[in-house]
Amino acid sequence: MNPNENRLHALDAVRGFALLLGVAFHAALSFMPGWPPGIWAMVDNSPSQFLSDAGFVTHIFRMSLFFFIAGFFGRLLFHKLGAAGFWANRAKRIAVPLVIGWVVLFPLIMWVWSLGLAKIFNGHVPPMPEFPKTAGAFPLTHLWFLYELLILYVGVLALRALVVRVDRARKLSCLVDVLVEESIRRRIAVFTLAIPLAGALLTLPMWFYWQGIPTPDMSLIPALPSTTGFATAFIFGWLVNRSAGALSAISRGWFAHLVLGILATGWLLHTLHASPMAQPGLTKTLFALLFGVAVWGWVLGLTGAALRFLSNYSAARRYVADASYWIYLAHLPVVAAFQVWVGHWPLHWSLKYPLILVASFAVLFLSYHLLVRPTFIAQLLNGRRYPLRKPKQAPAVAADSAAIAPVARDARAPVAELRSITKKFGTTVALAGVDIDLKPGELLALLGPNGAGKTTAISLWLGLTEPDSGEVTLLGGSPLEVQRRRGLGVMMQEVELYKELKVRELVALASSYYRDPMPLEETLRRAGITALADKPYGKLSGGQKRQAQFAVAICGRPRVLFLDEPSVGLDVQAREVLWLNVRILLAEGCSIVLTTHYLEEAEALASRVAVLARGRVIAQGSVDEMRALVARRHISCETALDADLVKQWPGVLEAHRRGPRLNLVATDAEAVVRRLLTEDPGLRRLEVREAGLNEAFNELTREAA
Amino acid sequence: MNALALKNLETDDLLPPRRAANAYLTEIRYELTRTLRNPALAIPMMVLPVGLYLLFAVLLFGDAIAKDPAVGIFFFAGFAVLGVTMPALFTISSSLAVEREMGLMKLKRAQPAPAGGWLVAKLTAGVLFSALAYLPMAVAAVVTGKLPLSGMQVAAMSAALIAGTIPFCALGLMVGALVKGSAAPGYANLIYLPGCYLSGLFFPLPQSMHWQTALWPQFHVSQLAMHAAGLQKFQFIPVTMAVATLIGFTALFSAVALWRLARKG
Repeated sequence: MNPNENRLHALDAVRGFALLLGVAFHAALSFMPGWPPGIWAMVDNSPSQFLSDAGFVTHIFRMSLFFFIAGFFGRLLFHKLGAAGFWANRAKRIAVPLVIGWVVLFPLIMWVWSLGLAKIFNGHVPPMPEFPKTAGAFPLTHLWFLYELLILYVGVLALRALVVRVDRARKLSCLVDVLVEESIRRRIAVFTLAIPLAGALLTLPMWFYWQGIPTPDMSLIPALPSTTGFATAFIFGWLVNRSAGALSAISRGWFAHLVLGILATGWLLHTLHASPMAQPGLTKTLFALLFGVAVWGWVLGLTGAALRFLSNYSAARRYVADASYWIYLAHLPVVAAFQVWVGHWPLHWSLKYPLILVASFAVLFLSYHLLVRPTFIAQLLNGRRYPLRKPKQAPAVAADSAAIAPVARDARAPVAELRSITKKFGTTVALAGVDIDLKPGELLALLGPNGAGKTTAISLWLGLTEPDSGEVTLLGGSPLEVQRRRGLGVMMQEVELYKELKVRELVALASSYYRDPMPLEETLRRAGITALADKPYGKLSGGQKRQAQFAVAICGRPRVLFLDEPSVGLDVQAREVLWLNVRILLAEGCSIVLTTHYLEEAEALASRVAVLARGRVIAQGSVDEMRALVARRHISCETALDADLVKQWPGVLEAHRRGPRLNLVATDAEAVVRRLLTEDPGLRRLEVREAGLNEAFNELTREAA
Repeated sequence: MNALALKNLETDDLLPPRRAANAYLTEIRYELTRTLRNPALAIPMMVLPVGLYLLFAVLLFGDAIAKDPAVGIFFFAGFAVLGVTMPALFTISSSLAVEREMGLMKLKRAQPAPAGGWLVAKLTAGVLFSALAYLPMAVAAVVTGKLPLSGMQVAAMSAALIAGTIPFCALGLMVGALVKGSAAPGYANLIYLPGCYLSGLFFPLPQSMHWQTALWPQFHVSQLAMHAAGLQKFQFIPVTMAVATLIGFTALFSAVALWRLARKG
């Protein structure tokens, strides 16, 4: 299973967002203050500085964001389908829409434009400037992005072929992977990626700051700034797909990246207001560099935020993401027509702009739903069609993320999983390649010495930390989503509750978080603290505090319960109550993860045990298997018996001779000792040692190392 | 059964509105309960500002105010800024710092607590306690006749002052997110006290010190109050400037706090 699968939903959402943002951007263009008539289909009678600024901001990043995601999915698709399959797929999804789309849309766009110009100039349209007759000149319209995409596919696959040939030992690829991940993690990528784009922008002789990266919609010959900027985005997206930890790094850096992007954007807006046209000099250089920083701050920030908050499957988002490709292809004549229509209405822009947006989206979504989604057009654009009248669809497949099957969930599927998890704190490795799962209705005991990684494992499941690589799931999704956590209850180590609140109030507060909590009195009764209900938490004894925390953990009828060292500080009686409760919860179908130092606790409750040491799972199995593993005893004596022979005896696991002494490891020590004494009456200096839990851990760790 | 339950989880993304509202309200209710049950914090916050105001405005400078009513408004504004900003800053910073130390913020993040519920609760409590501290002062000022303003002006000034507590709630969040529980009041004082004097809350500053007043949020809150009271003598910056700066302070302090909380919990 690809650990990134869940995250593709988020990236699909980002791509859809970038495309829909394009619609909003074009819808604003009739309101630009100071634009000469003729540049756009309409000049509205209520211009807006706000829409001009908002348009500039969205235009900074929307296409780079699109190409970044396109690069990511490009590599995914190439590795899934192979070279031939890839080109066949791209021809259908990109080249055909480009050609057919242009043939259908261009006349429509021209027609709407002519209506608009007639309106602007009151019917007396002045002669328009001739279309330039330079080589390659061609009015691509807004479909230029498909053309650019095809060029990038050719370029990047050629580059890839070259690298594969040269870099046979894969040294370069590994280096690049590390560079990509580390540069994102250390927030350097925002700045390094800005440099090529800034360099290309500085070559522009005439640069209106507002236009950002000049749109290459007038020529088939690639322009330097757009090709540099979008190729950087595309290639970086491709490399992010290669690198194992890059997506996690982007997800974790979302806030810092967004802040960087916003700060840079603030400065750009400020400078743009002072002088809209670039003059050679320091300001232009700085503008170009900070423009690049803004681009990458927004791209990485928005992608990260989506990964962080939108990684789950949502039918509504899926629908919009599917629709976005069609909507962007078809939007221009629709949006322009509405702009022309309302252009002379005596209304403020703050009314007309939303009106254009709502009307355009209504027409476009309706056309998608009726004419595209159920027909061959959806087959062509998105890879599948949906019958018009049918109830709920299974989670479908995105345009390019193609064929990511929904995860089958049978009744025995784990309720919580850690998959190939690596987590470092600074240089300390807390978890190294850990796989653990929790099945429905079982109690999994996590055992291990201090610092083994137990608490880190639990923190991951609780959504408190995120892994450096690997995947964490809780109840079928990411624990960062609050609706997943609504199914959990937790009792953490070293947590104190509000000391001023009474036990009853603490439980009531925690209950308010859940959809269907237990009645308050029942929670208190089950935790055995009805008598303490009106005592402030600060006045409870250590053991009573743990009981109150247990009540808080179970109040929401959790389906998964995490108990981190629950019995520390409990007296015997309180521990009995706790164990009884745990058994009741198990009988009710709750799944429980328990960490403990006490082997007897695990023995009393667990259906399965996982032993962690130094960040690895060194043993995993049923309680009996673990008991056998831990119940080894060491026997040592001076005897003439042959080590190899003794090793054959039942119950003997190991036998070594060191000088006169024979050292044995045995599971059934009594029987082995009896037989030793029988077979060698001259046996002397017999020693038998219990292998404690700690020793077992140490031994297992040594074996694991 | 289990597969079915998982499916439900996917579709039932949100709590029903009533339960969601209840979650926020419960959080607010207990935040207030906790602060009220902590008399060591609550009493000085309530009593100190009104006490100081009565001492200075009635006993010590009563005559000066009688001569020039503008001085009375100036005094009231100064002590009122103190009165409303202190509870906001100190209750929030120390409670957040202590809760972080106790691991409670971590627990809240693990529990399905509503997004930002604790934040809403702390802000509400901060603003409400400020209002509670402000009310006796306002009553005292009006009753003793030290506040020669129309009813509308008093209302506008009160609203400006209460709204002015929000940046201090944010400052409290920042301090609480950065330092340990026992150190929080100390650090809060370290930031807060110099600002009270250097922003010219209690006595007009010499010209040579005017350049630095804009650095203190207290100054901008007092400017809001002066504009609301319509006292031109003490209006040093346009009201829009004061509002924008306070919004800027709020954004900066909250960003630092949230950034730090996201990293350290």
